[in-house]
Amino acid sequence: MSDTAIDKPAGDLTTGHTVRRYDQELAKLRAIILQMGERVVDQTQAAVAALIEDDESQAYRVLDREPLIDYLSLDADEEVFRVIARRQPTAVDLRIVLALSKIAGEVERAGDKAARIARQALELRQQESGGELLVEPLRAAFQRLDDKACCMFERSVHAVTSFDVTQALTIFENESKLHEAARALRDLLSESDTDGLVPRQTIALFHCAQALKHIGNHASSIAEQVIYVALGQDVRYRNREILIETLRHHGY
Amino acid sequence: MNTLVETMDKTTGAISSADLAQDRPSAATVGDVTVADPRMTCRNVDVWYGAKQAIKGVSLDIGKNEVLSMIGPSGCGKSTFLRCLNRMNDTIDGCRVTGSIKLDEQDIYDKGLDPVPLRAQVGMVFQKPNPFPKSIYENVAYGPRIHGLTNNKAELDELVETSLQKAGLWNEVKDRLDQPGTGLSGGQQQRLCIARTIAVSPEVILMDEPCSALDPIATAIIEELIDELRANYSIAIVTHSMQQAARVSQRTAYFHLGDLIEVGETNQIFTNPQHRLTEDYITGRFG
Repeated sequence: MSDTAIDKPAGDLTTGHTVRRYDQELAKLRAIILQMGERVVDQTQAAVAALIEDDESQAYRVLDREPLIDYLSLDADEEVFRVIARRQPTAVDLRIVLALSKIAGEVERAGDKAARIARQALELRQQESGGELLVEPLRAAFQRLDDKACCMFERSVHAVTSFDVTQALTIFENESKLHEAARALRDLLSESDTDGLVPRQTIALFHCAQALKHIGNHASSIAEQVIYVALGQDVRYRNREILIETLRHHGY
Repeated sequence: MNTLVETMDKTTGAISSADLAQDRPSAATVGDVTVADPRMTCRNVDVWYGAKQAIKGVSLDIGKNEVLSMIGPSGCGKSTFLRCLNRMNDTIDGCRVTGSIKLDEQDIYDKGLDPVPLRAQVGMVFQKPNPFPKSIYENVAYGPRIHGLTNNKAELDELVETSLQKAGLWNEVKDRLDQPGTGLSGGQQQRLCIARTIAVSPEVILMDEPCSALDPIATAIIEELIDELRANYSIAIVTHSMQQAARVSQRTAYFHLGDLIEVGETNQIFTNPQHRLTEDYITGRFG
């Protein structure tokens, strides 16, 4: 028995089956989810642009494209059913299929959040009495939260491409920055003299901030599934700090 | 992907470095080969066919009231190991078995031990149903009669009935006990062979791919039977069906080229095996 035999499979975890069609089916499932993820990143950026830059066309574009993500999630579900029925996956394959199914749900819900921001952006535009809705420092605070959430989500989708534990850990490490940016924005919105915003507008902006924070949280849930696939350990509900420290200690 | 086979503390996320796979010696079997309540204990078993070594230093316990499945690619030694457990290899010229195999603390390779009663204590069910060319009744009664387990016809009748009931066959054959066993369907014949094994009061039942010649319904009936038999016997089963191993056994042992690579709880082996070879085999990446 060779020394390296003790290691788990290296490289792409979805490949290497004797039945090559199995590889193709897993690759197809993952490709659907990656496509969903990329669309959600685009949707979020466009929705926030609609809000910050008062660009109505971007909001309509987001709402037009939102059903595409839903349809892709239906395709993902169908593929999951097919793979389970045909291949009866075990071990890492079973984890991949289960995790991708859950990731599809997370991505689809993140897409819903982007659409919610776009809807709020349109409503706010209709309530506007002229001039820019978001002025500094509110605008910068929104931009900061958007950057954190989008960056986390993009990384989480990227982590799925190779079930990369290191990338997943980076997402966990960014959670505090996301929460900090969300808190700063909330504090600004809570101030009584928020640049002439009427309460209805403030509430709508609260909802937008909350949606962005949730997109970041979906990224964290995706990262948990990436670790589940790669290490076979369910790390949901575990102490994040200890988890990060332990895995970093082991070279991730 | 780097290797990190660890057990994290469920609540804190801490990983015990003692559990890291890279800390284990590579030649050792991964997982605990021992059980708390063993029926059979095998230590450092080597099997040679002439100059060719078929089993390399395998240590493994079979627990009381458990089903242990043995899986692995063709030629990995799982059937050879199974046949060692009731000295079936004695009949093969040039086959040499070393190490220790004990049934309830009794060394089954002790020179003074008669293998015939041993094979009653450790019964075997083969891949292809092999009923004797006799009646259903005689198939079951034959063993108890030659081993002198009953004193009269009434006792023998009762034992035949009990054995057929335990094998889940009684209701299907009670009205035709005098008809040939070979006239039954494949699944019924296999259950008749199990009844024949049970009739001599074994402690351990060995099964070498017992369902490979059966259709899915007959297979399901045998699997259900295996689960029921576990209450009274220890069972070791060799199977090429991963799903069957996952369904029927509590522990699974994976063999590869004569080595016992990994042994563990079946749930763990089929969801998160610790050894790469095990994972490659059960996910269909092997070879």
